[in-house]
Amino acid sequence: MATIELLNNVDHLGVKILTERSLELGDNKMFCLSFPAEFRAAQAYYPVLFYKDGQSGQFMPVLLLGFQSGENLFLQQQGWQAGYVPLDILREPFTIGLQQGERVINIDTSHPRVNSASGEPLFLEFGGQTSYLQQVAAQLETLHHGVTDAKAFTQQLLALELIESFVLDVTLNNGQQHSLHGFYTINEPRLAQLSGEQLLQLQQAGYLEAIYMMLASQAQFARLIGFKNQLLASN
Amino acid sequence: MMQANELLATDKPATTENKQPFVKGQVDVVVVGGGSAGWLTAAILAADHQTDPHVNISLIESASVPTIGVGEGTWPSMRATLARIGISETEFILSCDASFKQGSVFRQWRSSSPQDCYYHPFTPPVAANELDIADFWFSHHQQVEFAAAVSSQPAVIAAGLAPKRIATPEYAFLQNYGYHLNAAKFVALLSQHAKRLGVKHIVDDVVAVQSHTDGRVAALQTAEHGALTGDLFVDCSGLQSLLIGQHYQTPLVSVQNCLLNDSALAVQVPYDDERTPIASATLATAQSQGWVWDIGLPTRRGVGFVHHSGHTGEDQAVSTLAQYLQLSEQAFTARYQPRLIRFTPGYRQQFWRHNCVAVGMAAGFIEPLEASALVMVELSAKFISEQLPRSLAQQAVIAERFNQTFSYRWQQIVEFLKLHYVLSTRDDSDYWLAQRADNSIPSSLQEKLMMWQQFVPSRYDLPMAEELFPAASYQYILYGMRHLPSSERPIKASLGLRANQAFAEVQQKTQQLRAGLVSNRELLNQIKAHGLQKI
Repeated sequence: MATIELLNNVDHLGVKILTERSLELGDNKMFCLSFPAEFRAAQAYYPVLFYKDGQSGQFMPVLLLGFQSGENLFLQQQGWQAGYVPLDILREPFTIGLQQGERVINIDTSHPRVNSASGEPLFLEFGGQTSYLQQVAAQLETLHHGVTDAKAFTQQLLALELIESFVLDVTLNNGQQHSLHGFYTINEPRLAQLSGEQLLQLQQAGYLEAIYMMLASQAQFARLIGFKNQLLASN
Repeated sequence: MMQANELLATDKPATTENKQPFVKGQVDVVVVGGGSAGWLTAAILAADHQTDPHVNISLIESASVPTIGVGEGTWPSMRATLARIGISETEFILSCDASFKQGSVFRQWRSSSPQDCYYHPFTPPVAANELDIADFWFSHHQQVEFAAAVSSQPAVIAAGLAPKRIATPEYAFLQNYGYHLNAAKFVALLSQHAKRLGVKHIVDDVVAVQSHTDGRVAALQTAEHGALTGDLFVDCSGLQSLLIGQHYQTPLVSVQNCLLNDSALAVQVPYDDERTPIASATLATAQSQGWVWDIGLPTRRGVGFVHHSGHTGEDQAVSTLAQYLQLSEQAFTARYQPRLIRFTPGYRQQFWRHNCVAVGMAAGFIEPLEASALVMVELSAKFISEQLPRSLAQQAVIAERFNQTFSYRWQQIVEFLKLHYVLSTRDDSDYWLAQRADNSIPSSLQEKLMMWQQFVPSRYDLPMAEELFPAASYQYILYGMRHLPSSERPIKASLGLRANQAFAEVQQKTQQLRAGLVSNRELLNQIKAHGLQKI
């Protein structure tokens, strides 16, 4: 269970954050949140898809990291195998909270990255924030605007009926067959039918690029399948 | 709806010459009456013919006649109907105070014991297209109720769970479902939507009917809008049945010799608090003089006592309803102003005469057991829309087919409702004895009951492609009422293996659903907060 506290330089003065990438430190995720401004960097490594949240039924863009719950194929012995680590991964163990209408930084103090022995400190000994914390604050700010934009992006695509479900059938080198269900992608025939006016709308919102980034990212399924085959071969 | 007296007073046989109908392929449809039948029919016609500039739909309703506003339960067919006319499920649920209905629970129909209860779920029996699972249930009938053995839905209903999750797309389901809804709000939504689809709305009284010499209706004379001409008139004027009943004098075929009930006493019951669970099935509880419906909306319950005026006086009806709500008669009368609805159970000898067709209560009305009123409107409107006549010759053929189809459907309703009564062992009143007297049972039902001494209800009993009540429904009632065949049929051992597997699948699915579904009320709250997705 998460223990969410409002970050402050009294309670959390001695807190340090372990920043290495590790399954034991909470990187054992099958997918993470994303947003249009991140798509260009992300699509070079990760399939960018939509996922429907089970609690709210709302769609959100995600980056696929593995094929089953808890599996992150990008995290290997040599470290994170991509030139770009998603912001939703980097932000751990911090989240954005609201305090009297203002955005504040919350910290999950029961997160395995949180300790007092080693890692990046958050506050300077005689007051002030460390550059690490300043970096985290900037990331959270980007993420906040990104998630707001992702909602608008998703709404616009839903209104244009541009989202469709798909199933990925994979046959691994050892003959095992897997089906990936529950994710959604761009409905390409529908995209091809959009009117000039609709395309212009998407273009002006900056979403036309995001759509094509999502389509281009599908090439990364091959990367993910390759990682999975390597994993099976080494076991 | 129209002013009946006014109409009769001024209805002189005004005739015009036989003006050529359907000029240049044009079809002008005039729907008469603005209740759920009228607006649903208008919306279906308008949605289906939206891109056809030759089809024009208008709807006339009187400002002075309120709609009856019962009919608060639908079948699963309503999901497809709403999708067809282009209403989003989220909008429908929120604006009509709708909740999910997964079937009916019949309490005290077999006997008056308080524990007596069986289910008629909307989800058909497991493995229905592979085998007749009933054959394999008979030997277990003392351990498990039929519905619970062949479907997970009774357990889902009993646990008060919803038939889907917030992540399930609009109109899709984990367990098949229809709705409970606020009829007045449903009419308002349909009206708003039909107008968006281009239906012309006229608020006025019809004062006279103008006929062609060949008997077709030429126009409706209105009080303020002059004569309203049309090629096809759809009579949705409710119990008044203005065109089919009053104008054409088509007799009502009474079925009261078979189904006694002709009255309903209805009230709206508030919840104790906003967290009270909402039942996700219609509760139908038999009484010594009839039965009580109990329908759960998010905002209130709708409760009504269906009875026979010949057996039950108004005072006795009030006391039955008070007792059902666990109130003293004084407390009941202080709190509620019950509405008494009277009807002659029956249907018109013909529904389509010349260029007029009756839909809804103008066509017929039978007690709301199994909630068939709205589904009959949906079926009628779809028939009319898909077979919209474009010439007089076509119209004659279509009218004949419509009459045959819907006479059969009304007979099926009568037969299926009667089945609920004839299998009862209740003998606590003359009423129950009269409801199952030999001479009150249609011969077609007697024949089927004779067959079901040996055979399981199947497509051989119900051969039409679009049966209102499929064999599965008959099985749920027949075996729910514990009317088992007198001798077991020989069954194939190989199928027995598959049947056992299917029984196990039901139990497994029940566990999964119990773990994965939220309550009916919780899902409605989530829909309020987030809406359902279209995909």
